[in-house]
Amino acid sequence: MLHSMKKGLSYLAVGIVTGVALAGASEGALLAVAASANTGVTLFANVFNKVRDNYAEKPDDDKLVKGAIDGMLASLDPHSTYFDPKSLQDFQTSMRGEEFGGLGLEVMMEDGLVKVVSPIDDTPAARAGLMSGDLVTRIDDTPVKGLTLKEAVDKMRGAAKSSVRLLVERGANRDLKEYTIVREIIHVQSVRSHLESGDIGYIRITQFNQEAYDGVRKAFDHFRTDPGSSRLRGYILDLRNNPGGLLNQAVEITNAFVDSGEIVSTRGRNADQEQRYSARPGVNLSQDKPLVVLINGGSASASEIVSGALQDLKRATLIGTRSFGKGSVQTILPLGDNGALKLTTARYYTPSGRSIQARGIEPDITVLENIPDDLRGKVSSLGEASLFGHLKNGSEEEKGSDAYVPPDKDKDTQLQAAVSLLHGATLESLKKPATTVTVQ
Amino acid sequence: MGLGVVIGAAATVAAPQALSHISPAAYAAAADTYRQLNLFGDVFDKIRNDYVEKPDEAKLIEAAINGMLASLDPHSSYMDAKAFKDMQVQTKGEFGGLGIEVTQEDGLIKVVTPIDDTPAAKAGILSGDVITAIDDTPTQGLTLDQAVEKMRGAINSPVKLKVVRGPKKEAKDFTIVRELIRVQSVRSHVEDGDIGYIRVTQFTEQTADGLKAAMEKLKTEVPADKFKGYILDLRNNPGGLLDQSIDVVNSFIDRGEIVSTRGRTPDETQRFDARPGGDLSGGKPLVVLINGGSASASEIVAGALQDHKRATLIGSRSFGKGSVQTIMPLGQEGALRLTTARYYTPSGRSIQAKGIEPDYKVLEDVPDDLKGKDDMKGEASLKGHLANGDEDTSASQAYVPPEEKDDKQLTAAIDLLEHGVKPVETTAAKADAAPKPEAAKSDAAKSDAPAPAETGKPN
Repeated sequence: MLHSMKKGLSYLAVGIVTGVALAGASEGALLAVAASANTGVTLFANVFNKVRDNYAEKPDDDKLVKGAIDGMLASLDPHSTYFDPKSLQDFQTSMRGEEFGGLGLEVMMEDGLVKVVSPIDDTPAARAGLMSGDLVTRIDDTPVKGLTLKEAVDKMRGAAKSSVRLLVERGANRDLKEYTIVREIIHVQSVRSHLESGDIGYIRITQFNQEAYDGVRKAFDHFRTDPGSSRLRGYILDLRNNPGGLLNQAVEITNAFVDSGEIVSTRGRNADQEQRYSARPGVNLSQDKPLVVLINGGSASASEIVSGALQDLKRATLIGTRSFGKGSVQTILPLGDNGALKLTTARYYTPSGRSIQARGIEPDITVLENIPDDLRGKVSSLGEASLFGHLKNGSEEEKGSDAYVPPDKDKDTQLQAAVSLLHGATLESLKKPATTVTVQ
Repeated sequence: MGLGVVIGAAATVAAPQALSHISPAAYAAAADTYRQLNLFGDVFDKIRNDYVEKPDEAKLIEAAINGMLASLDPHSSYMDAKAFKDMQVQTKGEFGGLGIEVTQEDGLIKVVTPIDDTPAAKAGILSGDVITAIDDTPTQGLTLDQAVEKMRGAINSPVKLKVVRGPKKEAKDFTIVRELIRVQSVRSHVEDGDIGYIRVTQFTEQTADGLKAAMEKLKTEVPADKFKGYILDLRNNPGGLLDQSIDVVNSFIDRGEIVSTRGRTPDETQRFDARPGGDLSGGKPLVVLINGGSASASEIVAGALQDHKRATLIGSRSFGKGSVQTIMPLGQEGALRLTTARYYTPSGRSIQAKGIEPDYKVLEDVPDDLKGKDDMKGEASLKGHLANGDEDTSASQAYVPPEEKDDKQLTAAIDLLEHGVKPVETTAAKADAAPKPEAAKSDAAKSDAPAPAETGKPN
C-alpha cells in the first residue's frame, strides 16, 4: 500500500513537470496524467499550477510550497512543524546543547523589544553589566522593533571574538546605555545544581537536551563528595518551566532515581507501534534518598514524563502546580536537503497507563507562588488544552496553571515547601494553609 | 448563470499564457518546481504514514491549499464546493427563499425585518419574531448559517416555521412557499424633494440593472428641470463584480476610460472604456459618498468618477483594495479565488493600500460606545497585502449614523447639490470609527457580504 501511494505521487510529480514546461498549454494532459494519483494531491497540484500561471505577481515557488506545508501541519496539531534547513540547524544546535558564539543573555520579547530575562553567569553579557529587565532597542545599527525574537537572537549571535553593540533602556526612567561586547563561546547549560540548606541536593533541569543526563550525573558526583552521602537528606528535582526535549534523556534521568519498573510507553496509530521504556537495573544514582519534584504550568512534555513516572512509581513527592499537559511525542523526520519535519507520531503513557495529554499532572501537594502584582495574569501557562487543534483526551481536560518562579530563593514558597518536606515536615502540615504557603 | 459570470470574469484577466517554445529557463524552472512538489509529496506521505492518528486527507489538502494561498495575499483563497455555491448565490443576488433578514441573538434566530413584497412579508412574519423551529428542526444549537440554509430551498417548495412573538411569547406556526428572492443591492429615494439618492450595498449581478431601474424611477418622480443631481452612496460597500462596477460608472459618463487591469505581464493589460449612450444621468451633478468601508469595486467607481471630474467625493478615505481576484472553478472541488491583477484608475493611479481621498473629508459623529472600536484599518494593515510604495496604514472612519438627520456626510452632499455650499472639512479625525454593523442576514445570502467574484472586501 505504501508502495502504491508513493508510485501515485511520483506519477503526479512527473505530470506537473510536464505542466510547467508547457505552461497552460498542457493542462489537459497534466490532469489526465494526474488522474491516476491521489485525488487530493491532484487538486493541490492543480491549484499550484493555477497560482503559478495566473497570480498577479510571479510567485516564489519555495514560499508557496512552504506555505502549503505549514498550513497542512498547522491543521494537525500545535506541535507538528516544518523546519527549513536553517531552522533545523538551530533546532539541532539547541538539542545538542552545543556551543555558539554569543553574549550569554536569556531574552524574551515584550512589546516588540527584546527584554533581558537574565544574563547568564560568567558570560560577556554578565561581565559587561547587562541586567535583568534591560530592554534591548538596537543591535549594531538595526532597531529591534520589527524583528522577531529569533531574528534578534540571530543578530546577537556571531563568531567568537567578534563584537556587537547593544543599545539598551534601563529602569523606570528608561535610561539609555550603549554597550560594546565581544562575543564568546557560550555553552547552553541545561542542568544546574547546588546544595540547598546544607544537606539537600538541588538539581534544576532547564531543558532535556543531549547533555541533560550527563549534567544530572555530574550533579550526583558532586553531591557524593559535598556534603557526602551520609549527610545528604534527599533531592529536589526542579522541572518548573522546563518545556521538555528529548525522550531518551527523560528516560535516562528517571532511571537515575529508580531501579526497576516501566518509565513510559509510547503508542502510535497502530498497536504494533507501541514502545515501552523500562528502568535498567544498576544505574540508579540516588541511593533511594527521598526526592521532591517541583513542577508548574510551564513543565511540559519530557518534564511530564519524568514527573509522571516518579509519581506513579511512588518514588517522588510532587510539589507545585498542575503541569502543562503535553502528552504527545514528536519525531524528527529528515527531508534530505529540504530540512526536516517535526511530526506528532505518538502519545505517551505513564507507568500506570494514564495519558496526561490536555490534562497535565496534578502535584501531590499544590503550592502556589506569590505572584507580584505587576506580573499577575501574565505568568500563567494556558496549557495544552487551550492550544488550538490540540489532540483530544476525553472530556476531563484541564487548563494550565501558574508558571512563575520567584527570582529570589527566599520568596520561593514551592522550593521552601520541598525543603521543609525533606527536613521532616509531614505532608499534612504542608497541605494546611500557612502565611507564606498558599494551598489550593 | 453564476458560472457564466465567473468565467466571464476569468476571461478579463486570465488569458492563459501560451509559451511558443520551451526555453532552457523553462526547463530549469521545471526542475525546481519538481523539487518543490516532491518536497510537498514527501511531507504529505510522511503525515499519511506516521501521524499519531489517521489523518483526514481531504482536510490536509485543503489546509495545504489554504496555507499556500495565505502566503500570497489576504484575498486569495480556496472555496470548497459548498462555499463556492454560496458565493455564486451571493454574486447572483437571487435565491429561493422567504425574504427575511435574520440575526442571531443569544443563540436564537431573530427576524430583523421581513423584506417587502416577499412570501415572509405576505405571510405576516414580523420584525422581532423569534424563529424556534424550521420544518420541525429546533433552531436552538444551529448556527445562523445553518438556519439560513434550512430556510432556503427550491422555488415553490414550502417551509414550516415556528415562531415566538412578543413579550407573551405567543407561539405561531407558518407554512410559507418559497419564491425567488432578489437581494436588493440598490436602494433609492428622492431626497429633499429634488435629489436622487442611490445607495449601492454591493456589486452583484443585479446591480447595474438595479441602478438603471432606480435612475429611471427617480426621473419619473422629479421633473428634469427641477432635478438637482444625484447622490451615489458607496459607504461600507465592500465591492463585488468588476463588470458591474464598470456598468455603474458608465451610467454617469459617456466616454473615456473607466478602469484598467494589469496582470503579471504587459500583454495581460485590459482597458475598460465607457460605451457611448450608457450615460443615464443627463449630466446632472453627482456626489459620491465613500468611507473606510468602501472597497474594491466601490473604489473603481469612486476613482473613475473622481478622475473624470464627474463627481465630487465626500466622506472619509476609502479602504484601499486595488487588486482583482478571478474565480477559477476546480470541477467538483469548488473554486480558487486568486489575485490575478491590479487595477488602475483612468489617471493611472493604483489605490492599493492607499485608498481614495475624498474631495471633501467630512467625518460622522460616532456615538461614544462605538468610538475607537471599529476603525476600518484598511488594506495596508492586512498581513501580506500587495505592496504599493507609500502606503497609508492609518484607520479611516466607516460609521454611518442610522438616522438620516445625524448623517453629516449625507447632509454635506445635500447642501452641496442644493445650495452649492462647499462642505466644511472635518479635521477632528479623533472620531474615526466603525463599519456599520450589518450582522443581519437575509435568509440566504449574507447582507454584509464579503465580495463575490471580482473584487472583494478583505476580512
